[in-house]
Amino acid sequence: MILHILNRPPSSSLAYRDALVAMGSEDRLLLIEDGVLGAMTAQVRHFQAIDGRLFALREDLNARGLLGQCDASVQVVDVDGFVTLTEEADKTVSWF
Amino acid sequence: MRYGLLVEGAPYSSQASHSALRFAAALIAKGHRLESVFFYHDGVYNAARLVAPPQDEPHLYDAWCSLNAEHGTRLQVCIAAALRRGLLDAREADRHGKAGHSVESPFELTGLGQLIDLGRAVDRLVTFAP
Amino acid sequence: MRSHLPVTGDLLVILRQVPHGSSWLREGLDAALVAAAFGQSVTLLFQSDGVLALARGQQSGPLGQKGTAATLDMLEMYDIESLHFDLEALERFGLTQQDLLLPAAGVDASSIPQLIAGHRLVLTF
Repeated sequence: MILHILNRPPSSSLAYRDALVAMGSEDRLLLIEDGVLGAMTAQVRHFQAIDGRLFALREDLNARGLLGQCDASVQVVDVDGFVTLTEEADKTVSWF
Repeated sequence: MRYGLLVEGAPYSSQASHSALRFAAALIAKGHRLESVFFYHDGVYNAARLVAPPQDEPHLYDAWCSLNAEHGTRLQVCIAAALRRGLLDAREADRHGKAGHSVESPFELTGLGQLIDLGRAVDRLVTFAP
Repeated sequence: MRSHLPVTGDLLVILRQVPHGSSWLREGLDAALVAAAFGQSVTLLFQSDGVLALARGQQSGPLGQKGTAATLDMLEMYDIESLHFDLEALERFGLTQQDLLLPAAGVDASSIPQLIAGHRLVLTF
């Protein structure tokens, strides 16, 4: 399993497409920084293809006032969870 | 596990430095070792010793220095990316005939080869980009 | 030319930016060259806008800003011969293999996960 990390929102950047195309069937995607906009219920459709393997960083959602808008299908992790995801992955790839 | 971080965002311009520092603290708290932070692209600005942020903002430069002092994490700056952006240690300043220098210990100007070595040496290399 | 996967190696450098507009492409190529000089086996993937790094006819920019076309010529000297590009991206710009200045292998989007899985370290620029 590879952990992909995305810090751009799907509303204004196509980086998410490059990330999704690059993901294997077991890989996970973590949304951080402005990437967490993609976790919002109104945006999460862009990540349909990886349902169940999408994560978002709690601190970055919270800082932007978006924790309440985060879709139930997204697994919200804090920074410790971010570290755990990297432990569990063979490697990480960042998309920006 | 042994970790390395690659930071490519300038401080106070993007969230990359904040994200990297937060991740660094968390991985160390979990018992991992952070071998080195390598600064590349605009990330080299993190090494600017003259930064003077407002007092009510996080002092990113000091936070990097604390990582080095408390955990022995190396702070390695790509020399080619740094020189282009006006980030010179005393030796480079002298070599280029500059009156002052903008980088000092614990930050070290090094070649990109150190990033490749880091990638080889650690279990996980995590990139924080702007 | 199509790529024969799986391609494996020490380092995969993914280049996603256009020449001249930012330093990403140059800095990504520099990382690849240094890794090769350190004896690592390096693969390049030109993805999305990055395929334009391979376009023929590139010139220097304003004020003589050096592009990256000359750096591409150095890849062979450093034994970086595993060059791949995103087929769909090339089509998106209406370009064909004949428009490229280097022999590179086209890869389908579905092959990119294998490329990534096959390398110990992946750096994106």
